[in-house]
Amino acid sequence: MDHHGETTPAGRSCKSSKDLLVQIGGPPVYWKSVDELQNGPRVTGEFPGGLPGGATSGPRAETTRRDFLALMGFSLAAAGLSGCRAPVQHAVPLLVGSDQIVPGVSNYYATTCRGCASSCSLLVKQRDGRPIKIDGNAESSLFGGGTCAGGQATVLSLYDDGRLKGPLWQGKSATWNEIDGHILQALNDAQTAQKSVVLLSGTMTSPSTRAIVAEWGRSNPRFRHVEYDPVSLSAMRQANKESFGQAAVPHYSFDKAKVIVGLDADFLGTWLSPVEFARQYASSRKPEKNAALHIQFEPGMSVTGSNADVRVPVAPSQLGATAIALLRRIAHKAGTSGPDQSADPVDSARLDAVAEALWKHRGESLVVSGSNEVAVQMVVNAINALLGNIGKTIDLARPSRQRNGDDAAVAQLVEEMALGHVGVLVLYGVNPVYDYPDSQAFAAGLKKVALSVSLNDRSDETGALVNAICPDHHFLEAWGDAEPVESNFSLAQPLIAPLFETRAAQDSLLRWMGREGEQSNYYTYLREYWRKDIFPRQKELPSFEVFWDQSLQRGVVTLASAGGAAPGPIHGGWQEAANKITQSAKAAPQGNSNSYELHFYESVALRDGRQANNPWLQELPDPISKVTWSNYAAIAPALAAQLKLENGDVVALKAGEKQVELPVFIQPGQEGRTISIALGYGRTAAGKVAENVGVNVFPLTALAAGQRRLSAVNASLASTGGKKPLASTQTHFSMEGRPIVLETSLDELEKESEKPEALPTLWAERLQGEHSWGMAIDMNACNGCSACVIACQAENNVPVVGKDQIERIRIMHWIRIDQYYSGPAENPVSVHQPMMCQHCQNAPCETVCPVLATTTSSEGLNAQVYNRCIGTRYCANNCPYKVRRFNWYNYTDNPKFDFNMESPLGRMVLNPDVVVRSRGVMEKCSMCVQRIQLGKNLALQGGRPLADGDIQTACQQSCPTQAIVFGDLKDPNSRVSQLQRSQRNYQVLEDLGTRPNVGYLKKVRNPMERS
Amino acid sequence: MRLQLIFLTVIGLGLAGGAGVWQFSKIGIHQSYSPKQPIAFPHKVHAGDNQIPCLYCHSAARTSRHAGIPPASVCMNCHNIMEKQTVEIEKLKEYVQQQRPITWVKVHNLPDFVYFNHSQHVLSGVACQRCHGPVEHMEKIEQFAPLTMGWCLQCHREHAKVGVTEFERVSADLKQRQKPAAGLDCASCHY
Repeated sequence: MDHHGETTPAGRSCKSSKDLLVQIGGPPVYWKSVDELQNGPRVTGEFPGGLPGGATSGPRAETTRRDFLALMGFSLAAAGLSGCRAPVQHAVPLLVGSDQIVPGVSNYYATTCRGCASSCSLLVKQRDGRPIKIDGNAESSLFGGGTCAGGQATVLSLYDDGRLKGPLWQGKSATWNEIDGHILQALNDAQTAQKSVVLLSGTMTSPSTRAIVAEWGRSNPRFRHVEYDPVSLSAMRQANKESFGQAAVPHYSFDKAKVIVGLDADFLGTWLSPVEFARQYASSRKPEKNAALHIQFEPGMSVTGSNADVRVPVAPSQLGATAIALLRRIAHKAGTSGPDQSADPVDSARLDAVAEALWKHRGESLVVSGSNEVAVQMVVNAINALLGNIGKTIDLARPSRQRNGDDAAVAQLVEEMALGHVGVLVLYGVNPVYDYPDSQAFAAGLKKVALSVSLNDRSDETGALVNAICPDHHFLEAWGDAEPVESNFSLAQPLIAPLFETRAAQDSLLRWMGREGEQSNYYTYLREYWRKDIFPRQKELPSFEVFWDQSLQRGVVTLASAGGAAPGPIHGGWQEAANKITQSAKAAPQGNSNSYELHFYESVALRDGRQANNPWLQELPDPISKVTWSNYAAIAPALAAQLKLENGDVVALKAGEKQVELPVFIQPGQEGRTISIALGYGRTAAGKVAENVGVNVFPLTALAAGQRRLSAVNASLASTGGKKPLASTQTHFSMEGRPIVLETSLDELEKESEKPEALPTLWAERLQGEHSWGMAIDMNACNGCSACVIACQAENNVPVVGKDQIERIRIMHWIRIDQYYSGPAENPVSVHQPMMCQHCQNAPCETVCPVLATTTSSEGLNAQVYNRCIGTRYCANNCPYKVRRFNWYNYTDNPKFDFNMESPLGRMVLNPDVVVRSRGVMEKCSMCVQRIQLGKNLALQGGRPLADGDIQTACQQSCPTQAIVFGDLKDPNSRVSQLQRSQRNYQVLEDLGTRPNVGYLKKVRNPMERS
Repeated sequence: MRLQLIFLTVIGLGLAGGAGVWQFSKIGIHQSYSPKQPIAFPHKVHAGDNQIPCLYCHSAARTSRHAGIPPASVCMNCHNIMEKQTVEIEKLKEYVQQQRPITWVKVHNLPDFVYFNHSQHVLSGVACQRCHGPVEHMEKIEQFAPLTMGWCLQCHREHAKVGVTEFERVSADLKQRQKPAAGLDCASCHY
């Protein structure tokens, strides 16, 4: 075999088709940044490059010895004085008691997430009347118990100071009655003037709200409902209409697929229903189970691409050609005529191998594309139809209702608005002045609408231009329902009384339809809707009251399909579609040397930007680049070298008439001439957190053939000479060349039949208690989605520190997801490794603490005692895993850190069972010791022994792929014990003899090779 | 004379210093703290004379970290039908009539960095009086124990399961069926 063959876009190339589905072989060398790859690992201390915020970068110290003594004397006296009298504390019990509200005891209620239109079922923890923690509803057959980072963070958006406190009329606060009067008047006027009334909403997954809208349509023939998603699947719906006669988004089953091909669809990160897909994907990728093969073609490195067996960088303009190349091969195998011959955009041999694998697994494969081009989606439909996947891995009979946006209808509405044909425009959950490509046209059109109303929770970019803002409740304050997938229902109930003078959007709609009193109450409507439309469809329960109570308690109801017809055979038309793609590629102007492609994507943290004012999400390191608090222009390492650009150099990117200036980030695996930029940043009216963070690139997206294009060709790049440092955590802690991540193959696993004996230890055996808490983390299941990071932050009151502090390596997250690359910088493979305190039994931190503020407990926990800690930071220096976090400042109630913990409203999210740490103390992962104590207490209350699975840590609970398992290592039958006995288990830096209680399961590469 | 003056000064300073140190050692300890309450509620009458069980009013102590002060509605369970009227009972009724919650002054306060859970102790069979003192004899409630860490640990040490010999371990295991062992780990209370 010739290993020195031609280099392909995917890096290494070999001749046999088997090897084309392997991206790397042999023992890999890992690196975290391009610099480390080129210059080798650097041995650094706690602070590479000197003490951050020291004499050179911090404010000059002007305190003299005299000042110090004076201050010390004063503070001693003050301490003595304040010690004499304790502040008087009050306790105010309820006037009338309730058997359901016990102070200090949490209640859990099922509801439905409205963080995005995926509509995941949730179980929300409510403590003393406040929702404080979001988790997935394990009863849901679609989503399981997992969540995403954005979903976890929605609880903080409830306590957002940027929310409106009541309705606004012409920018001034008004009463609901006044506003209703104005709106009813305007609706009458529209009727008289024969102008249309339009409801522009995001994807509406709520069946009862749809029923309200439909009723409005029946009562007013000039009423129209348009659904608008800034990042839509509009082209897919159109393509499915042409291919199968059904304008719908299918429900995908990644768990049934043995071969998965993704064409720029980030289905594990942001695309359509990532929590559900991550769960399915993990179940089909278990190495023990003859795992599925995954090939991803994409321009920029996405979460999904980073998990693929083979990732092929492809420019956005070439994705259509890639689909055609696959279709031609598969059509050939199927013995039908395929699209005309055209040049392959990527290595032909690799495409042959992919087609071969797909063909071998016909009926159990899946090709998905994130393209918003009808022709591309039609070609993908043809591939799936030829492979017999329709009805198997792709379900159109029970379609998904999670993306209904119709780009063409929105474009038509904007035209109508410009012509002044719209009398009343109601905007519900959308912000087109921020995210519509031609936002100026939308803003201009808005002025010609007689009356425009926004139902958004804040005076956002669009809100500033409308006549009235009638703020909707946050979903944790509201009733509701959802049908994310046909006949899979999820109910929503309020967790807290509305904090402000807001009103449910549905109440507003009912009111404006002319209903009064009880008739305008959405809760009544919702119950009636369920009584009439959903209750009769089930047979188990004879009484509606029982059905309603049970549905509300469980949160989810799954019924037999309402009888959507299974799609027939694929219609023709894909050949024309393929020809169209090929021709438009030929017709495209040939670029010169300064011609690049732009690729726009939703980031895992901010998605389309609707939660931009959420500091947790702004500070969440991107799963791939680990950049916080900004978007950036991701460019390939080779291009950066050629243009002499470094991380943080500001470049001007021009596409068509529009230009943006962004800092550069050198992203390994980025397609050579494509620049990827995240959407959702650059909000100007979301609130103080989102202000001046990143740049809005929605204006650079354009409509082509009625569909929004999330890419642009012929863009130019010019260096501005400016510098805007990026706060990336990727290189915060160096591996120093040590083996932190390990991977293996199934063959190797079989060979390693015996585990090496435990290393001898010089430490005395310590007295062990009843339990020994430990964790097993499966690096095959972890896809890097970062839901656990936010879950941990919410559970453990982890503060937000801001961009400046992150640049100084002071991020406070207790759990981080380390991203390791191996292979060539053009297209490396990645490993994601969640890293938190390893709870060493022989802990290096413990031996260096002069005040015994960190000790290993009898239950195997490495405990940090905040009130003992004097802040020497010796422990952090001595920790080989770099998981200790120091409170350099008071992050609570400190105007310098103006995030959620500064405001009384934002502090309502804090978990009362966990201390808020103050300045000068060290903190780190406690393995959710508050949950351990609670679990033991609940077992005591129930008079039963503690069972495996009774206690879940926050990270474990949030994980959609169940990559983290927590439990008692003393119980040989616990899941964690079983996993830690597995052949794949290893401890990070085992040879140091720290004996961590956290074990990792080695990543198994390319298990498909066995079949 | 001069020597005497120096001697007296030294003694004076020493005494003052000693008193200061003693005073400093008392910082944060509020034993026998007994603030005035909005209603002069006599525990003696309720828990003592009428022998109402503690957990009738403080029912949350069974399930929650907080023992909880009963809602006024619980008071009214009895006072609705009781004939006896006093000035203090009038006050209670006024609160209820005016739909005004009662702002009690909290007597037992722990620092924020300690986690204490009532239910864990109640279910382990620790009598309320062990920490709260003879409440049934108190006309006005006061803080009985110092509530210092040393005081907590004294009891925890007595009830910790430290089995050295096999016999001790087995007998501790047997005892533990009724009462779980008290934790001695820092993380039992500090997190």
